[in-house]
Amino acid sequence: MLRLPIGERPRWKERAQEFGFHFHTLYGEPYWDESAYYQFTLEQIERDIEDPTEELHGMCLDVVAKVLENEALLRRFCIPEQHWDFVRNSWKNGDPSLYSRLDFAYSGQGPAKLYENNADTPTSLYETGFWQWLWLQDNVDRRALPLQSDQFNSLQEKLVNRFHDLQFLTPGRELHFACCKDTLEDRGTVQYLQDCASEAGITNHFVFIEDIGCDAQGAFTDLRDQVITWMFKLYPWEFMFREEFGSLLGGNNVRWLEPPWKAILSNKALLPMLWKLFPGHPNLLPSFFEDELDKASNYSELVKKPIFSREGANISVVRGSDVQSLSGGPYGEEGFIYQAMHPLPKFGKSYTLLGSWLVDDMAAGISIREDGNLVTQDMSRYLPHIIL
Amino acid sequence: MKRSKNINLTRMRKGKGTSFVLRPLALGITAALMGCSSEEEVKVVSSVEDCVSNTQLDEAQCESAYQRALAEAERTGPKYANLSQCEAEFGSCRDSGSGFWMPLMTGFMVASMLNDNDRRYRSSGYYNPVYRYSASGSRYYDRLMTADGQVIGRHGKTSYTVDKSAMDPKPKVTKTVSRGGFGAVASAKSNWGGGRSSSGRSRSWGG
Repeated sequence: MLRLPIGERPRWKERAQEFGFHFHTLYGEPYWDESAYYQFTLEQIERDIEDPTEELHGMCLDVVAKVLENEALLRRFCIPEQHWDFVRNSWKNGDPSLYSRLDFAYSGQGPAKLYENNADTPTSLYETGFWQWLWLQDNVDRRALPLQSDQFNSLQEKLVNRFHDLQFLTPGRELHFACCKDTLEDRGTVQYLQDCASEAGITNHFVFIEDIGCDAQGAFTDLRDQVITWMFKLYPWEFMFREEFGSLLGGNNVRWLEPPWKAILSNKALLPMLWKLFPGHPNLLPSFFEDELDKASNYSELVKKPIFSREGANISVVRGSDVQSLSGGPYGEEGFIYQAMHPLPKFGKSYTLLGSWLVDDMAAGISIREDGNLVTQDMSRYLPHIIL
Repeated sequence: MKRSKNINLTRMRKGKGTSFVLRPLALGITAALMGCSSEEEVKVVSSVEDCVSNTQLDEAQCESAYQRALAEAERTGPKYANLSQCEAEFGSCRDSGSGFWMPLMTGFMVASMLNDNDRRYRSSGYYNPVYRYSASGSRYYDRLMTADGQVIGRHGKTSYTVDKSAMDPKPKVTKTVSRGGFGAVASAKSNWGGGRSSSGRSRSWGG
């Protein structure tokens, strides 16, 4: 695994315009960065990333099954009691999932270590599935990269195939996509998924989360008063559970992407549960609930993470009684978990986080984020990669 | 090869200024993708008698078809909060009995060519209601359309050639009584002014 400099494609910003990639620069800072790329060997990809990704996903599903049959665990995962049946039923019915992303610390040597599972609302999808694919294609075409360069990235192909399957599993329904207002990045991610769904022949619509309505019977509606029967929402389950319309969930006939049982996976309580069920697994970091810190005495440094959080918010490092905040944020009211410190590898001046994508249960590619800080946050940069 | 073998760049290209705006239904694209003949000739009949004299269905089948179309109109028909809005677009409207107004069904569609199997199937089949649009000055004036606004043709023809999707069941339309019940947590958290994005607003609610 190497970080190598490369010339930017001439006029790549015009190309971004041509393909509708509008968030490559955010708040005046570069987000998409093609001044360098990461190079992996095929063995690193297959042995260290692809296989562990699918194995860990299977282990995560074991955790879901375990948590859903245990009320004490449902409480630990902060699932509100009035939504237990909603979540349990979605699991019992086998509601299908679309995609997720596991975040790893990986340096090219030794096992990749799981930081967390973005199983409910993963983003940086378009940049991965399409834009870095195009970057490789363009650079091979202009001979800036060797002809035999490959990429671990079958994301778009797998997404379209998955949408084909999902239509078969969800007959007679049109698919509504939703995200929040005022976020170009989320709208871009959702537009990309709409393009993939259209490619698979699914009739689809868009409505902003804030514009969703309900009728007198509790059915959800879009702005044209069409009843929503199948919805992809780029909006966290833990938010929806706690909002006004949350009380209608489960009472109306809607199929969800991601399905409600994903609330168990996109939850940091997953990490100590994995460690309990699979102690010593090479891809796991020792992790503990707050009331089990006596078991963590072997670890001089622990990372404290909120049960619910997004984009690296509210992370601190704990050394004995010393707590040092690494990032602020609006999360943490539901409590915290603790993970043994395993810093991100540093390449040059940047810390590097590797995201490994799954479409349903198949490993589908990787994305790389770099940050000047140890915690990758919302302003970290995206870099492409190749396999050579 | 560990990457997508082929991505259709033409389909991924976005016209200038058209990205991320609401786009119409993907129906046309879908039909083209399926690669099958997507058109069908239909008759629009306005009553059971009209159905018996102008289609291959017999009286019992026509009666059943009519009842099905009425039920479908109830489920999928356009719904208005007040009578004047409804009348402005469709002329004749009725009180739904549940607090809103709906246009009267002008008729329902029956396929022109039915073989024996079709006829048996059609008697228990699906019948889409159509409505006559009558807003004066509109380019759709006097056009027949299905509940989702798909235009069938000018009112009064003996038969119509329609996209097969016109015969598909339409999504249910209802009356929204409340909006804004989702989004409050994101809104509360976005008031937190930290993070490194200078706007103080989170860039994404994903992760």
